[in-house]
Amino acid sequence: MQTAAVTDIDMHYNDIDVYSGPGQLRRPLLWSFGLHLAFAVFVVLYATFISGFGRNSWGSGGGGDAMGATLVSSVPLPAVPAETTNVLATESKGLSKSQPTVQEKEPEAIPIPDKNTKTKIRPAPVKTETQRKPEPEPAESNQIPYGEGGPVSGPYTMNAGGAKGGFGFTGSGGDFGSRYSYYVQAVQRRVTENWLKYEVDPRITEAKRVYVTFDIARDGHPSNVEIEQSSGVPSLDQSAVRALQRIDSFGPLPVDYSGSKVSVEFWFDFKR
Amino acid sequence: MSNSVGRIRSLLIAVALVLLAAASPAQDWIRTGTGLGVERVRLAAADFKPSTTDAQNSQLLKTFNDVLWNDLDNAGIFDLVSKSFYPLQEPGQPSEVNFPAWNSPPPNTSMLAFGNLGAAAGKVTVQGWLYDVKNQASPQVLGKQYADNATTDAVRVIAHRFADEIIFRLGGGIPGIAESKIFFVSERSGHKEIWMMDYDGANQQEVTHLGSISLSPRISPDGSRLAFSSINKGGWEIMMYSFDLNRMVGFPRFGGMNLSPSWSPDGKIAFSSSRNGYPNIFVIDGSGGNSRRLTNDKGPDVSPTWNRKTGSQIAFVSGRTGLPQIYTMEADGTNLQRITDQGYAVSPNWSPNGQFLTLSWMRKYGPGEPGSNDIYLMDVASKQWVQLTHDAGRNDFPCWSPDGRHIVFQSHRGGSDQIWSMLADGSSVKQLTFKGANTQPNWSWK
Repeated sequence: MQTAAVTDIDMHYNDIDVYSGPGQLRRPLLWSFGLHLAFAVFVVLYATFISGFGRNSWGSGGGGDAMGATLVSSVPLPAVPAETTNVLATESKGLSKSQPTVQEKEPEAIPIPDKNTKTKIRPAPVKTETQRKPEPEPAESNQIPYGEGGPVSGPYTMNAGGAKGGFGFTGSGGDFGSRYSYYVQAVQRRVTENWLKYEVDPRITEAKRVYVTFDIARDGHPSNVEIEQSSGVPSLDQSAVRALQRIDSFGPLPVDYSGSKVSVEFWFDFKR
Repeated sequence: MSNSVGRIRSLLIAVALVLLAAASPAQDWIRTGTGLGVERVRLAAADFKPSTTDAQNSQLLKTFNDVLWNDLDNAGIFDLVSKSFYPLQEPGQPSEVNFPAWNSPPPNTSMLAFGNLGAAAGKVTVQGWLYDVKNQASPQVLGKQYADNATTDAVRVIAHRFADEIIFRLGGGIPGIAESKIFFVSERSGHKEIWMMDYDGANQQEVTHLGSISLSPRISPDGSRLAFSSINKGGWEIMMYSFDLNRMVGFPRFGGMNLSPSWSPDGKIAFSSSRNGYPNIFVIDGSGGNSRRLTNDKGPDVSPTWNRKTGSQIAFVSGRTGLPQIYTMEADGTNLQRITDQGYAVSPNWSPNGQFLTLSWMRKYGPGEPGSNDIYLMDVASKQWVQLTHDAGRNDFPCWSPDGRHIVFQSHRGGSDQIWSMLADGSSVKQLTFKGANTQPNWSWK
């Protein structure tokens, strides 16, 4: 009973200490307000006078001209091909998609149960079709790296007759392409070198293929340059014709070729 | 009855059409286009084999094989297959070509150059072939036979000719440059004289022996005459050397300071002359007559160069606005246009296809500015440019090769002024001269 009374008094004493009245906070609050005000005044004064407010600082322009660098889009040179550095082996995908090698799993060893352990038979979780997430088929890149991809043991190029825009070893167009493939290759290289893409309207980013036909005379001079099928972009058609007008000669036709001229259908694919 | 007659008639017409189609001459078509990958021709050049048992053979063969390999390598259009990939049995005759050994890896070549060389009784005979080894049905692209005296110089010329044939066939009709010459100024004999050499730096020899100062050699389009400027009693004058006569020939003196002659494709000469007070551009005939003045201003106008394709435009250097800049005008002096926008631009030279100017340019001029004189390439129509040399000392006096694939220039990168050459995209830089100080190269027109 006595102990209870003592505790009671203690409790009372504690009550007074914790819940003191609000009048006792006035002085610290005033101090706090005064110090904050002084700091704010200091910041404003510092910014105005000491740190040099109003002086030009970074990002505000002036000084140093930028140098405009433009590049010549086509030098009449063989373009440096993107060579694969490793000559013997290559990491390129090539034309055909190789099958992924199937890793054969070793059969899992089944533990031989002890004689006296209890075995609980759990049903294996059944994987239904709906549980599998549909995976998007990875898009195949149709890029053919330098020096690879084409038929390895075909003739030097493979553009003879055949369908428009396609390849074929033989076709209705005679066998010039397969017999003198180096000449076809030279024609292709020469026209591509002389085609200046900057002549095309800069607003065009992509266009339909232009087909141009021309004849190569025995001395290699191109003539009868005509647009067989327009791209619908006049400046692109014009640049294709100009590419051929820039060329004086493709070099004489092969000596053992009997014809007096050879006709060329040349297409230009434009893409920025 | 009428039905069967109609059927017979239509049959006859069909037969006639088929016959007509068969009778018309076969037309060969090539169908090709862009975007098929423009790549260099993969070419193997097998060492030529001896065809006789003469003692001279080994020395001649070494020269021949080296020169042929270098010419093909310098051409800039081939991907030469390294000799370490070649099969052990290299052919010397068409019957010895083992197609599968060449057209599959490791050589995996498209084209194969091979042949034989034999000396006998002071004469040498060279047979050379070029085969498309991936086209076994009709492989031969080229077959040539050469005969000359059995000297290394003759063999060198034969190798140049054979290389040029290959480059001409596979390069789309642009003749090779293996037989072209480069003219330049050298002071290795004590005076600045005009020298000449083969395009690869071989056979360097002195042309003039004037004992004064001779500068800016320019060979005529047909290669028969050499114009240059030289100082004599009257001052700087245009001088002329004839390769037909192998001596100096007379040329009119104009008075004042006459500098930097330049040949047009049809044989006229543009040069800078101060006979009227200020250095201006003048044009004269190849014989020195019929002089006409093209520019008329105070600023010094020097270093004219003709559009080598059309002969209807001239580019030149003018200091009329302060620092030298490149200008173009028509061959009659009209339509003046400034080409360079800033810096210090000198030594224009017009490409053989008329499309590009190459020039020496210091884009930022002044103390403390970065960069030095570098060689630039500029598309005349669009004024787009590309820098060809970087961080390599002072580079000046660029000049195009006749095939438009190479540029020869003077560079101080090795500590002294020497002649260097490179492909027109800035790659394959090679030093051509090593002795003395050599400047102001000029490549022959063919």
